[in-house]
Amino acid sequence: MRLTVSLLLLFSGFLFADLCWSAQSEVSSVVGAVSATEAADDFDAEFAEDFTEDDDAPLISDPLEGWNRGVFWFNDKLYFFFLKPVAKVYRVIPRPARKSVSNFFSNLSGPVRIVNSALQFKFADSGREIGRFLVNSTIGIGGLFDPADKWAKIPEKDEDFGQTLGVYRFGSGPYLVLPFYGPSSLRDASGLVVDTFLDPLTWLNRDWSLLEHAGVRVGLAINYLSLDADSYEKIKRDSLDPYLFMRAAYVQYRLAKVAQ
Amino acid sequence: MRQLMLLVCIFFGLVMPVQAVSTPQEQIKQMIDGVFSVLNSDLETTVKKQRISGTVQKFLGVKSLSQRTLGVYWKKANPEELARFMALYVQILERTYLNRVDDYSGGRVDYLRERIKGKKAILDTRFITERVEIPVKYKLIQKGGVWQIYDILIEGVSLVRSYRSSYSEILRKEGFSGLFKRMEDKLAQMKKVG
Repeated sequence: MRLTVSLLLLFSGFLFADLCWSAQSEVSSVVGAVSATEAADDFDAEFAEDFTEDDDAPLISDPLEGWNRGVFWFNDKLYFFFLKPVAKVYRVIPRPARKSVSNFFSNLSGPVRIVNSALQFKFADSGREIGRFLVNSTIGIGGLFDPADKWAKIPEKDEDFGQTLGVYRFGSGPYLVLPFYGPSSLRDASGLVVDTFLDPLTWLNRDWSLLEHAGVRVGLAINYLSLDADSYEKIKRDSLDPYLFMRAAYVQYRLAKVAQ
Repeated sequence: MRQLMLLVCIFFGLVMPVQAVSTPQEQIKQMIDGVFSVLNSDLETTVKKQRISGTVQKFLGVKSLSQRTLGVYWKKANPEELARFMALYVQILERTYLNRVDDYSGGRVDYLRERIKGKKAILDTRFITERVEIPVKYKLIQKGGVWQIYDILIEGVSLVRSYRSSYSEILRKEGFSGLFKRMEDKLAQMKKVG
């Protein structure tokens, strides 16, 4: 984990220089998405891009495609030969228990969402996340359950530093596939570093070794995959080129997240 | 990212038939109810697939979908290439959907908002199962009195844009012959699965 973190820090060094050249096109589409979502009646904006047939521009720049495809291949093998088989065995544990594990760590990372919502001036969201954190940590028994969502109907709203940078009008920068983690971009990978420091999981266990930190993250990934219905297999089975499909989907997904 | 994978999967679950009724919402509701009644029945997966098969092709705006998927290549292609592309594309979409039929059993759809302007419409819905809640947006265009789906957005990820992005890159590097080869190989592979 620390290795990944230092690698990311390295990247973030030239983040800002890199962002500038891709920022222009990206920002305009981000802004477009924002206005389409927020202005409820901005009906035409949602259609504008659908009917421009000349829109052949790639959704994201990918100068590192060779490297990215290499990492994609590595992650693919990691998934099929290690993570997935382990997750399958791990499924002997009843689903509610695995869901609680997921809830617990999700609740623990509440500060990431609280801080990022505030940084994006979404103070109501930030307040809701504080409320969720308090309710779930107490009534939800340390976060094992999610009564804030179930009873109070306040669902978790995913906010991270990559999105915060997006709100600040930073473009995504080049596409980046991270080992273990998967699709990302220069901006979002840098955001990940910041979020790692905001995550209590990191600073509550400062005395842990690199191996222990990595172990927890791998454990979380396996727990997640045990709850997942073979999503990756399906993408792989159905797309002509899973790399290209994942890339396109990732970029749009993040644009929509930033706009929310 | 993890959620994303799930979302992309659900992409295809909602590619369903539309019939000629008055509003986009009524049409979408009718088709979804129809498919869900098969999905939520006690039939075996293979039987479910048979029941749903074909209906997808009948009600999607195949031409609109293909045109937007090909983007600039739509104009560059000759009529034979276009015909071949549409034939393959609709099969791929249908196979993709049919292979996921099981994922959507037990789900329901909430209709949130419908907006119509002229011959275009946007319908916001939410797909809900015990485990997930996913916003799904349908974009429709009226052709010959029928509302046809020409794009579906799952949490902001557009089916058409995702396909266009992949397909145009393959077209740029390998041309139509390369794309057709890949599509045919993929179809053969998908048919073997189920």
